[in-house]
Amino acid sequence: MPTHYADHAWHGPVTVEENVTLARDTYRIRLACPEIARRVLPGQFLMLRLPGESDPLLGRPLALYDVVAGPGGQPHSIDLVYLAVGKMTRLLTAVGVGATLEAWGPLGNGFPLTPTKHLLMLAGGIGQTPFLALARAYLGLQRYGDPPRQVVPAEQVSLCYGVRSGDLLAGVEEFRRLGVSVHLSTEDGSLGYRGLVTDLIAPVVRQSAGACRIVCCGPERMMQAAAEIARQLGVPCQVSLESPMACGIGICFSCVKKIRDGSGHWDYRRTCVEGPVFEAADVEFY
Amino acid sequence: MPLSQAEPVRTAEARLDVQLGRLRLANPIMVASGTFGYAREMAGLVDLSRLGAILPKTITRQPRPGNPPPRTIETAAGMLNSIGLDNDGLEAFVERQLPYLASLKTTIVVSIAGESCEEFVEMAARLEGVPGIDALELNMSCPNVSHGVDFATDPRLCERVVSGVRKACSYPILAKLTPNVTDVTVIARAAEAGGADALSLINTCLGMAVHWRRRRPVLGNVLGGLSGPAIKPIALRIVYQVAKAVKIPLVGIGGIAGIDDVMEFLITGATAVQVGTANFYNPTVCTRILDALPAALGELGMRSVADVVGTLDADPSPLHRD
Repeated sequence: MPTHYADHAWHGPVTVEENVTLARDTYRIRLACPEIARRVLPGQFLMLRLPGESDPLLGRPLALYDVVAGPGGQPHSIDLVYLAVGKMTRLLTAVGVGATLEAWGPLGNGFPLTPTKHLLMLAGGIGQTPFLALARAYLGLQRYGDPPRQVVPAEQVSLCYGVRSGDLLAGVEEFRRLGVSVHLSTEDGSLGYRGLVTDLIAPVVRQSAGACRIVCCGPERMMQAAAEIARQLGVPCQVSLESPMACGIGICFSCVKKIRDGSGHWDYRRTCVEGPVFEAADVEFY
Repeated sequence: MPLSQAEPVRTAEARLDVQLGRLRLANPIMVASGTFGYAREMAGLVDLSRLGAILPKTITRQPRPGNPPPRTIETAAGMLNSIGLDNDGLEAFVERQLPYLASLKTTIVVSIAGESCEEFVEMAARLEGVPGIDALELNMSCPNVSHGVDFATDPRLCERVVSGVRKACSYPILAKLTPNVTDVTVIARAAEAGGADALSLINTCLGMAVHWRRRRPVLGNVLGGLSGPAIKPIALRIVYQVAKAVKIPLVGIGGIAGIDDVMEFLITGATAVQVGTANFYNPTVCTRILDALPAALGELGMRSVADVVGTLDADPSPLHRD
């Protein structure tokens, strides 16, 4: 049962240790924040804000990309990957090493670390960001959380990753180095399969040696299509939703989505504290 | 260490307690309804016992699903919201949220919104004697739910609601008013005549955002309430005007994000303040303000909050300028 309170969140200043380009308009920022780094789980996020600014005013939710150990081997920093698309993220690209930002987290429930033989991660656009840490957890390469969570390793971890154009693909080699089997698609055909990433789901599921589970993060249309494909294939599927958030901690009731309960009725649920990961079959997409 | 647990700055025993009619607060820093959930959400980040008062999210008689998303959009130095009083209704609040609130030592002011004058009265009567409630705030001004009836835009209706609630329960009453009227002082006098202990000024300013390329409004509910630093000058102006029009204490609300904002409202005539939108983007803001309050009073040579309230020198003569 997920908790609906951000009881393990920490709020304070964080120092920028790195802010580098990964792909077109795509950056990785490293923040020194041991309090968050030691607690955070794959699929959780934190809110990041430019301190002292009233425009942009609100924090922005950014998913954990990875945890980085300090000199003593303990979790010390976290990496976030962001696409410079709006007012805040464009300003963030200009933030230098040594600058102070304000952060609160970890937030949300993250992915349930349910054992599975084959984990298929479906990413669209910038939706690959929560999957690097998840892959490391499922491949037994790293334990996250305080106390560290033990995950039954998967035999196979796949990433189906689709973007509009090849120059937007970010971090592909990092996934490959872990041993993730990577399947790429681009809408313009500049790299990998030409078309929608959801076309890759069925063939990759069929390559499964055993039980498969799908986790998705990306545009809602993609996740809706994936939910339907998963249903037809009879494969469990979870989606990490992104909806506009003001607080990230459950107090503003902005980030709601229609989620069905067991009886089929929907209610607005807050994606920040009750999600962001939901069973795909429970989500009313439109 | 969370910032909320940082060592508070203490100067020689400043008196922070304030009186809002029949309601006494340990300090003037309250959290505005709808910006702090039901308080339990914040327990991991904020020492709730330090707050002057907590106003949980407004409750209605019946459950309301709230408005369709998107419900909020950031604007220049502010945000628009059209949450639509998403809540599980009065009975669910009493059963599920109030026991936790009652367990806190903090003053709890329950915010209620009725769809009619009778419903306001019925809700107040239902809450009478329920443990854990110290006062009621009447949300007569939520811009997102009115069906053409705004209890705080019509002085007669406003007075009827306040006096009805006053007869129906023994709680101190705060009437929360809207800025979306031509002359707030008329409504403020009506609430005072109805028996309000204090006035909460202001609720959000009605606003709108548009996607011009899509030719669509941004918010699911088309219109929303503007809050945040952008509306602070409006709130200060209204506190200034109403302070001259009524005798009851005022609670300043609107864009308060730090100690300087709090002092501006106190000086202008507010006896207490509510921090709202800032809780969203700076979850530990209230305790940071409390840490800074004694020193700010000291800077004016004052040793109590009550001493600075309404001490604005509005004399326009140049001799009084810096």
